[in-house]
Amino acid sequence: MTLTQSPSLLVASIGEMVLSSSSDAHLVAYGLGSCIALAIWDPRARVGGLAHFMLPNGPANGSSPVKFIDTGIDNFLKAMEARGALLNRCLIKAAGAAAMLTVGNGLAIGKRNAETMQAALTERGLSLTAASLGGNSGRTVQLEVADGRFLIKSLSSVTEL
Amino acid sequence: MTLTLSEAGQNVVAGTFGQAMKRAGEALGSMSGQVIEVQAPMLRRCTAAEVLAMAGGPESVVLAVYVGIFGALEGHALLLFPPADAHRLAQILLTGLLGPGELPIEATNDALVYDELELSALQESGNVTISAFLNELAMHLHEPIQPTPPQVVVEMAGAVLDAVLLDLVSDADQVLAAKTTFSEGGRAIDGTLFVLPRADSLRALLDALGAIGI
Repeated sequence: MTLTQSPSLLVASIGEMVLSSSSDAHLVAYGLGSCIALAIWDPRARVGGLAHFMLPNGPANGSSPVKFIDTGIDNFLKAMEARGALLNRCLIKAAGAAAMLTVGNGLAIGKRNAETMQAALTERGLSLTAASLGGNSGRTVQLEVADGRFLIKSLSSVTEL
Repeated sequence: MTLTLSEAGQNVVAGTFGQAMKRAGEALGSMSGQVIEVQAPMLRRCTAAEVLAMAGGPESVVLAVYVGIFGALEGHALLLFPPADAHRLAQILLTGLLGPGELPIEATNDALVYDELELSALQESGNVTISAFLNELAMHLHEPIQPTPPQVVVEMAGAVLDAVLLDLVSDADQVLAAKTTFSEGGRAIDGTLFVLPRADSLRALLDALGAIGI
């Protein structure tokens, strides 16, 4: 199993989200450390979205709509609904929130990101279908819009969530 | 916090960072016994995505030596090497320490596998290089800048850098990034030094350099 490189690759850079209803679209977020990627896929509407959140809390940010989880998650959920997704039937998966560095003044943002994401979803009556959060490895993630497969690549492996 | 600098002010900062980068290169050269070339440093304000691009892209695999910065200047510093170059540097450093023919390292085909001695040598190379950079800046501030103990990570550049960037961008969209590349002539060892100061601690440095108001 390998991650795809193709013209239909849509990249969610840090603080960005990508959405597609095209069956050949692959949504990717590269090199996640403490950041957290949230993938949402509606099996009936066949629409998928991937958001690359950076931090747990902060003010709404026009240039990076999903920079902060608490003020950005609704931007992502509304964008999915605007594409025809019905959130209650969606598969919702998350990956990232690692602790890459152990020295310094507590860069433990990953843990806070994971907790804030789970709380934000619960507050909206949603929950994670599956997740790969924490640890101390980097991750690249890919959501296949055709079938909702969510692939996670680390330096040593590629797994499907 | 956003500080606006005139072109003259920016030149003063770039000159000082350039001198500090040169000192860092000299320290790496002295440690390795090689002549290390130091590329003219790049100093610019950029977004998190731009910093990741400067490191070769978020998925490029690097050996990173991370050092946190505290004291008169606060922030983060990272020395990044492509994995194969990190192996070569480790070999050079250990040969210098142990003498030729005494290397206890078994050759491996996996560029991502390092033994304890190699990691220790590379960790020290980051420590020495970054400390030389900070000492140069501390001379201008007349106050000490303290580095944390170094940490070595072999990972995707994005995964290492995002932890650092997230610490800096919570109240700003851009960071000040200083970057230079070291190389050793003939047989390439490309190392990239990133220094990412915390915005609220920059003012003291800019004041000390006389970069504000010129």
